[in-house]
Amino acid sequence: MSAATNHAATASAPAHGGRASRPQRLRDGAAAPLLAALGLAAFWLFPDDLGLMTRILTAALYVLSLDLVLGYAGIATLGQAAMFGTGAYAAGIAAVHLVADPLVLLAVGGVAGGLIALATGTLILRGRGLTLLMLTIAVAQIVQEVANKARDLTGGSDGLSGIDPGPLLGLFRFDMYGRTSYLFALAVLLAGFLVARRIVRSPFGLACRGVREDPVRVAALGGSPKRLLVAMYAVAGVFAGVAGALSAVTSGIVGLDSLGFSWSAEALVMLVLGGTGRLWGAILGTVAFMTVHHLLAATDPFHWMLFIGLFLMGTVLFLPGGLASLADRFTRGDRP
Amino acid sequence: MPGTLRTALLGAVFATSLAGAGPVWAATVKVGVIAPFSGPFATVGQTFKQAIEVYQAQHGKTAAGHTVEFVYKDLDQANPAQSKALAQELVVKEKVGYLAGFFFTPDALAVAPLIDEANIPCVIFNAATSVITEKSPRYVRTSFTLWQNTVPLAEHMAKQGVRKVATAVSDYGPGIDGETAFKATFEKHGGKVVDSIRMPLKSTDFAPFMQRIKDSGAEAIYAFLPAGPTTLAFAKAFSDTGLKAAGVKFFGPGDITQEPDLPALGDAALGITTTFNYSQAHDSDLNRAFVAKHKELFGSSDTVTFTSVGAYDGTHVIYKMIEATGGSSDGAKAVAAVKGMAWESPRGPLVIDPDSRHVTQTIYLRVTERKDGRLQNSEVAAFAAQPDYGYKVGK
Repeated sequence: MSAATNHAATASAPAHGGRASRPQRLRDGAAAPLLAALGLAAFWLFPDDLGLMTRILTAALYVLSLDLVLGYAGIATLGQAAMFGTGAYAAGIAAVHLVADPLVLLAVGGVAGGLIALATGTLILRGRGLTLLMLTIAVAQIVQEVANKARDLTGGSDGLSGIDPGPLLGLFRFDMYGRTSYLFALAVLLAGFLVARRIVRSPFGLACRGVREDPVRVAALGGSPKRLLVAMYAVAGVFAGVAGALSAVTSGIVGLDSLGFSWSAEALVMLVLGGTGRLWGAILGTVAFMTVHHLLAATDPFHWMLFIGLFLMGTVLFLPGGLASLADRFTRGDRP
Repeated sequence: MPGTLRTALLGAVFATSLAGAGPVWAATVKVGVIAPFSGPFATVGQTFKQAIEVYQAQHGKTAAGHTVEFVYKDLDQANPAQSKALAQELVVKEKVGYLAGFFFTPDALAVAPLIDEANIPCVIFNAATSVITEKSPRYVRTSFTLWQNTVPLAEHMAKQGVRKVATAVSDYGPGIDGETAFKATFEKHGGKVVDSIRMPLKSTDFAPFMQRIKDSGAEAIYAFLPAGPTTLAFAKAFSDTGLKAAGVKFFGPGDITQEPDLPALGDAALGITTTFNYSQAHDSDLNRAFVAKHKELFGSSDTVTFTSVGAYDGTHVIYKMIEATGGSSDGAKAVAAVKGMAWESPRGPLVIDPDSRHVTQTIYLRVTERKDGRLQNSEVAAFAAQPDYGYKVGK
């Protein structure tokens, strides 16, 4: 168990929970306005790239959900796309047949993502480690195959098109330039970030972190590790579902790739790049990965994969704590 | 003296202003191409790009005095949301006047609302589900559909006296399209489909399906799988399990014996009978010139295949659209100008059907055989003027 205790020691260093220190309170107060300001600055600076930036924000919310599962509850998963895709398809199907209001669609996606996470989480969270990892992959594959088979509802491999959400709040139409989409996505991400922060600092969030560090001790203290994990899995499912719905609303189409293995794996890469166990890490990692990906793919559409591989290897070698650990180095001196 | 000087000066000013105004008349028209340029389907994007370059080498880089510039965007797998974002970037940032490319159906469908709002024509080089062109009046397609290839094949098989056929298709959109088209046509002509097998898309073990084909007592199979490793495994299983030796005939749309895959298929491909819109071995001067130019530019013509002519003819359509609109960006007018357009392509005579905006073309019956030590699809019969039979078939 030496690895686990070691992990516990390093993880307890940043004072997330408990009584906040003064600089941390300062950082806390600044976090949300900073995110909003950066998002709006990007809106002014790159008015021609709103399509891509909307996708980045959507992905950031999705990676945030993975951070809740992996970073805070220690559940190793390669199947987070199951929740994202379910949310996206639920919102898409609702948009095609039932409602057009974007906010209602987000709610539909969130509920669907949460329910599927609750249902599958109850089943698979008996497993641990590699077994669990395999089970999460299996769940995502099953969901994907169901979506492929239910062709009448989901469009199968052709994708679910014809999603045409109504104007946001009855006022703002989703335009070709993506202005509404971008600001909407920014607002949703901001709200998601604040809610996620509230959750990870709540007694429930702290208990989940306890399970990550040492489930036996949590059980000895009278907690139920499995119940906590399932609850966190479902909460993260809601976040992923909302992200999926956001993707459906802003892009107007849902494809089977939204349930695919590579989408799950990519989320993991982005999270590790940014730094697990920090909400900032999820956002930072997504922005860094997708921006670099886009720039490389735009400069050299034929060989960009090589360079993104080198970039990832460099980050993992020289910044094992992810990009977010850079900030710690600056604020707390260069200590390991 | 001052008079002449003034005239000279005026003349100079006039000349410079003319030269300066030149680029305004002959502006650059940009065409955004979205296709896989990396990852497992990278060869597709490469064939698109090479065919475009062959076309530009043969016909020049200008249309009606406007320089035509192609901007490439990589979309390595079917990912409609990303396709939409890329198209948005091309339209808003790169200010392209045309969208083109698209290998996968969902990626093509994703841009429908965008091209309608921006009034931009979208020329599809491949994505082959019939339904696409119904979704926007600004889609034009220069590839083929499963229906288009399958209907003449089923008719041919019925005429050959084949009575009992088993279908074996991958369980996804195009596979189902193929199965439906085959069944509808073949049974109309008196044949019988004795078993309809749908195989998982990622399956590589085909022995159980071969057993089902054997048990069904079919004289022939109609098979469709996405080109690549799955087709290789399927064709190999077909000969290894003795179905081929037992005399069961192998029919299917031509994607399964596409040129880049033939060396890997090897002898397992021998005798597969397919229908398709293009074979590299097509016998015409235009095709020989096309393949020769390709070889001259890129050193080899082995990869020239259906996606190459899809892009080549798509580029032709775009050039004609630019000529018709004088370089101004008016999608509706551009599409109207090519409706009913007929021309001769390396694959044979083509017409853009005014209703479906899909290309009506000759479909060839081919047999895979070895010629001069190299496998090729030899055309043995031709079915002229085949439309997209799948257009609005669901309605």
